[in-house]
Order: sequence, then C-alpha cells, then structure tokens
Amino acid sequence: MAAVGAPEPKKSKKGKKVRKRLGFRLDMTPMVDVAFLLLTFFMLTTTFSKPKTMEINLPAEKNDQTQVEVAESNVLTVRIMEGDKAYWNIGFKPPEAIKLYDTDGDAKLAVSDEFRRMLRENRERIRQEVGEDVMVLVLKLDKKARYRNLVDIIDELNISNPPIKRFSIADFTEADGEEIAQMLAGGAPTEPQPKEKKK
Amino acid sequence: MPKIKTKRVGYNLDMTPMVDVAFLLLTFFMLTTQFRPPEPTPIDMPSSNATVPLPDTDILMVQIGKNDELFLGVDAQPTRERIFESTIRKQLQEANFPAIEDSLRKFKLSDAFAVNRDNLEKMIIAARFANPKLRPVIKADVNSSYEVVDFVMKTFKKTNMPTFNLITGLEGGMGNSNN
Repeated sequence: MAAVGAPEPKKSKKGKKVRKRLGFRLDMTPMVDVAFLLLTFFMLTTTFSKPKTMEINLPAEKNDQTQVEVAESNVLTVRIMEGDKAYWNIGFKPPEAIKLYDTDGDAKLAVSDEFRRMLRENRERIRQEVGEDVMVLVLKLDKKARYRNLVDIIDELNISNPPIKRFSIADFTEADGEEIAQMLAGGAPTEPQPKEKKK
Repeated sequence: MPKIKTKRVGYNLDMTPMVDVAFLLLTFFMLTTQFRPPEPTPIDMPSSNATVPLPDTDILMVQIGKNDELFLGVDAQPTRERIFESTIRKQLQEANFPAIEDSLRKFKLSDAFAVNRDNLEKMIIAARFANPKLRPVIKADVNSSYEVVDFVMKTFKKTNMPTFNLITGLEGGMGNSNN
C-alpha cells in the first residue's frame, strides 16, 4: 500500500511532551489512482509531431528583376487537367500524355514511376546537352485540377536526387487548353508555326 | 492439498518510488501537452516528405475545406481586432447590426473564421499591418480544387507575400523511391 508513516515524534524545546501519534497511516491509494488516470490521459492525447510544411516561392508581381531568360529547350512544362490527367512537353514540342498516379481509386495514391522516370530522363538529357543541371520545370494546373496534384508534384521535385529547385507555377491559359485539345484530337505533331495543318 | 502454503502476513510493498516517477511523468505530460484548437471544418491534409516544422507563432493561416470554403486564422488577438476593425465593423454598421461590440468580443476569441473571397485581401492587409512578421500558410484539403488554392496564392502574391508554406501531413510508410 502507498502510505505515509507517522513522522518521528519530536520533543519541543521546553521539554514538553508531544503526544505521539501511534500508527498514523494515510491511505494514498485514491490519489495515486487519480494520478495514474491523468498520466494515462496525457500520455495518450499528446502528439509530439508538429504539422510539416513545404515552402513555395512565387516571383513577386511586377518586378522585372526577377525575370530570368531560359532557353526553351531546357523548359519542361507539365500541365495537369481535371481528373489527374497529366501532359508534359519540352519547349514548344507537342504535349504528351503521362500517367500521374499509379493506382486508381481514392486510396493510397502515389506518383507513378512513369512520371518519375520522365522527370529523371529529361533532366539527365538536358544535363548532358548543356553540361549543367539547368532544367526548369513549369507547372500549369487547370482550375479543375485538385490541390493534391500540386502538392504531390512539388513533393516529387523535392525528393528527387538532388532536389529540383528550379520550378515555377504558372497560369493555365486557354492556349494551353487548346494545345492539349489539339493533341487529343489529332495526335499530329503541332509545331508553333500554323503551316503544319495537313496532318 | 499436499503442500502447506505459507500465509504472507502483513506484506508491505513500498510504492513511493513508483508514485514519484508517475507524478514526474504526469507533470511532464501536463506541461508539454498542447491542445489542438477546434477546427472550423475537417481538413484532410495531403501527405508529403517535407520536413520543415510549422512555427508556433506569427502565423496567418488560410484554410480551405474540401468544398472550397475559405477560413482565415491568425494567432494573436490584437491582430484579430485589427481585422475586425478594418472590414467587418464597416459591414456590420452598413447592415445596422445592433451588437457590434459583442461580435467583436466573440471574433477575438475565434481561431479561424469564414471569409469570402472579396474580403480576403483586405483582411490579409489589415493583419499584416498589425503584425508585419506574419508568415502566410495554406492548409488545404486534398480534394479542394486548385482554383481556390490558386486564388489564395495570387492574393498572397498581391499582398506582397510571395513566400509561403503549404501544410502537409507525413507520408505514411512510403520511402524515398527515386532511383
């Protein structure tokens, strides 16, 4: 039993006898019970993990100093449309469809190996052509895309080895939609020049 | 019974050390626990491999629910008051709302409040006036549409806060699978 015994009887200075409290015992069981109850509660409710964050840097608006010119052959554009559909292209080349997620359904979605390979191969190719790791990724998400797509792709860039730091988020314009619609309709290579209409 | 059991008469175990440790742990957990503030809407955060922890103070959090609702939250009461004075008071006065002071008092205690898109920019500017150190943060549901997130990001950009953080959960059991 958790209990406190009686303290040793003390004699006062004047020699007066203090009455001895023989066999004084205080039952501490209820207090200990409550203490353990609280301990269990706090142990189970405490979460040591803080929410994690990823940082995004957008270029400030109307600031011409932040504009950087990049050769078009180094720009990888990734467009995401409604329903997790992804399309990629280098420079002004026609877009190609790519699977963004491996599994369908809403369970555990993971960025597909195909997408990872596409990133790695383009990066490697540009590095060999230029001699430097200069690939720039432009991410364009359609209004109907999901927020998850953005986070998943940025996460993918962050965990690639070494992390791809040079990426930007741009608006999905109507021209982008048309380009993809054209690709879906004909599948013919569409160069920026309009003369290539013969299919 | 063949064997005679010896009775243990007056068996005493000193539990004091155990109780000491229990109280020590109890104190530790009581002091370190932070209760999660009530959420205006349940948000299922996307998971990522990001490791930067969210700072405790000076946060301006825009929450986006799964049906694209917007909530704004700041952690200091003076900042909240500033937001109230800048936008809500005027609107209440225009609508002839009687209990403005009451709603201010209630507003100061709310961790996050629903905002509509027209007010968001004004409120963010007011909050930044009250506390220039505020760090913008977006906490959005996985299934919220990119359009709202884009709107919030553009607002951050417009209010001269091009650097912000996205809150994500931890990636569960998925390793770093590149190469």
